[in-house]
Amino acid sequence: MSSKATGTLRLLRELRSLRVLMFHPEDQDGQELIAQLQRIGCQVKAFWPPMDRLPEEADLIFFAVRPEVLSMDVPWLWRDDTPPIVAVVNYENPTIVEAVLAMNALGVVASPVKSFGLLTSIAVARHLSERKREHEKYVGRLEQRLAGLRKIAKAKAILMNTRNIAEDEAYKIIRDQAMAKRVTTEEIADAVINANEILGLEPKPSSVPTDLDSRRPRVVSRKSVA
Amino acid sequence: MNTVSMEPIRIGMLFSQTGVTSVIERGERMGTLLAVEEINEAGGINGRPLRLVAYDPESSPARYQQLAEKLILEDGVRIILGCYMSSTRKAVIPVVEKWNALLVYPTLYEGFEYSRNVVYTGAAPNQNSVQLAEFMLRTCGSRVFMVGSDYIYPYESNRIMSDLILERGGEKVAEHYLPLNAEWDAYLEIARKIKRLSPDFIFSTVVGDGTALLHRAYREVGLDPQRMPIGSLTTCEAEVQQMGAELAEGHITSAVYFQSVATALNERCVRKCKQRFGPDVVTNMCWEAAYFQTHLVANALRLAGSDNVRELLRVLPGSEFLAPQGLVRVDEDNHHTYLRPRIGKVNAQGQFYILEEATSWVRPDPYLVDHTLQDWSSRVPLQAQ
Repeated sequence: MSSKATGTLRLLRELRSLRVLMFHPEDQDGQELIAQLQRIGCQVKAFWPPMDRLPEEADLIFFAVRPEVLSMDVPWLWRDDTPPIVAVVNYENPTIVEAVLAMNALGVVASPVKSFGLLTSIAVARHLSERKREHEKYVGRLEQRLAGLRKIAKAKAILMNTRNIAEDEAYKIIRDQAMAKRVTTEEIADAVINANEILGLEPKPSSVPTDLDSRRPRVVSRKSVA
Repeated sequence: MNTVSMEPIRIGMLFSQTGVTSVIERGERMGTLLAVEEINEAGGINGRPLRLVAYDPESSPARYQQLAEKLILEDGVRIILGCYMSSTRKAVIPVVEKWNALLVYPTLYEGFEYSRNVVYTGAAPNQNSVQLAEFMLRTCGSRVFMVGSDYIYPYESNRIMSDLILERGGEKVAEHYLPLNAEWDAYLEIARKIKRLSPDFIFSTVVGDGTALLHRAYREVGLDPQRMPIGSLTTCEAEVQQMGAELAEGHITSAVYFQSVATALNERCVRKCKQRFGPDVVTNMCWEAAYFQTHLVANALRLAGSDNVRELLRVLPGSEFLAPQGLVRVDEDNHHTYLRPRIGKVNAQGQFYILEEATSWVRPDPYLVDHTLQDWSSRVPLQAQ
């Protein structure tokens, strides 16, 4: 709870130095947005119409989803590295809702813009964006780890085949080598796989399984037969 | 007390007399003026005459917004009758919400809106789009070419039409948008493309002066309304008169009112309108909504006893009025109006021959996402005339 609270404080503190790009017509809503963002302490720059590339770096984007932008080409809206977007909407029909979803907006502000509620929208958008980035990192780490496990499984299979040993023994060889050479088991697995490919010890390279799923049944069957 | 009670009640009116949608908005202005004169002839609002305060917003959302604010703040008006394009309504809504005034809006639009401070008396998509799709698919075929003006109403109308056509296994052969101020060459290019792709029908949501250009270009490339009609939600008597009946004959429009509606009340209203504004004047769905909504407002004013918006909102939603199209009613929950869908075909006189007509009013459902043809036909059977 306390760490969450500190997170909130940090988020709110960061609002004070936030670089905000606003793509909004120069009208009453636009003026209200700029004024409130400045009250909050953000550095705001406003543009309209939206250009085909982001004019500068930003931490947050306000984007007016006006009917006329639906036919414009704004390629940066769909990119992964685009800062979090808060959509400003003045229509609520499916055409506009679809556009808001397509740009992966993390917050929505309704027109006419009111000063109240803007800070919470920004905090939610920033929070969701951080969470999203953390999740992406986490998924990235998991994918790496999964790839490592696959390599080790493949190296074990090679050792088991060529030396006619059991799975735990094969793993022990890999682990001991890693400890002796002070490298990761993954790197040893890589070396085993490479050596196997170079020396062509495997009777048919195509029979060497390339991924965990297709390999698993063979190991299981070997073990269960043995 | 007596002197106060005779003071006029001022009502704001914002319909463009200039700009790209002025032709149709002039009709809305006529409908409003006619109704106000009738109301005042009949003794006004409990003895107090209605007085219109009108400006020309020039078909511009920004002007609409400024003038709405001027009406409320400088002229002391609580009720504004006005707006045609959605962009102009969207510009006025923040103003009426901010000052707790009331906008009464006599134009068909794309739905997905409710404001406590707005009453909508034109058709929602479930009162015209579904009917048009059903009719065109049944009578023409299922390959459609869509062309519209470049703004939100056409986008959303085309989305609904696309859904309905795909549901039928039909095909959208093209979807094009032209700027509101597009010129002849742009329309000619579209017409050539229509001819090349040879769809079963054309769905047009072109509004304003472009309507005449589209029809002229259609004729220029030699297309035949008997074989490939233009189906529209917005082309009404005003546009037909603007382009001339010869260019419009044979094309189809879905609307809740045509001048040709054969009720005694409508015939009387049309006659009065011609007497008042000239024998060449035509009426249309927007004129009719502007006309009956003014009467609805007057009735509400009589009941509320003043133009206090809070009091008006207690009596206006739920109220009914016998309009030229038939009995209409403002829905209590969504502030839109129960209306009677019709399908008309332009004849040689520039009037609409009514091909089909709903047997009763259709409840407005502005947030309806899934417009299905089955729903419409089972709920409100069409009867051939």
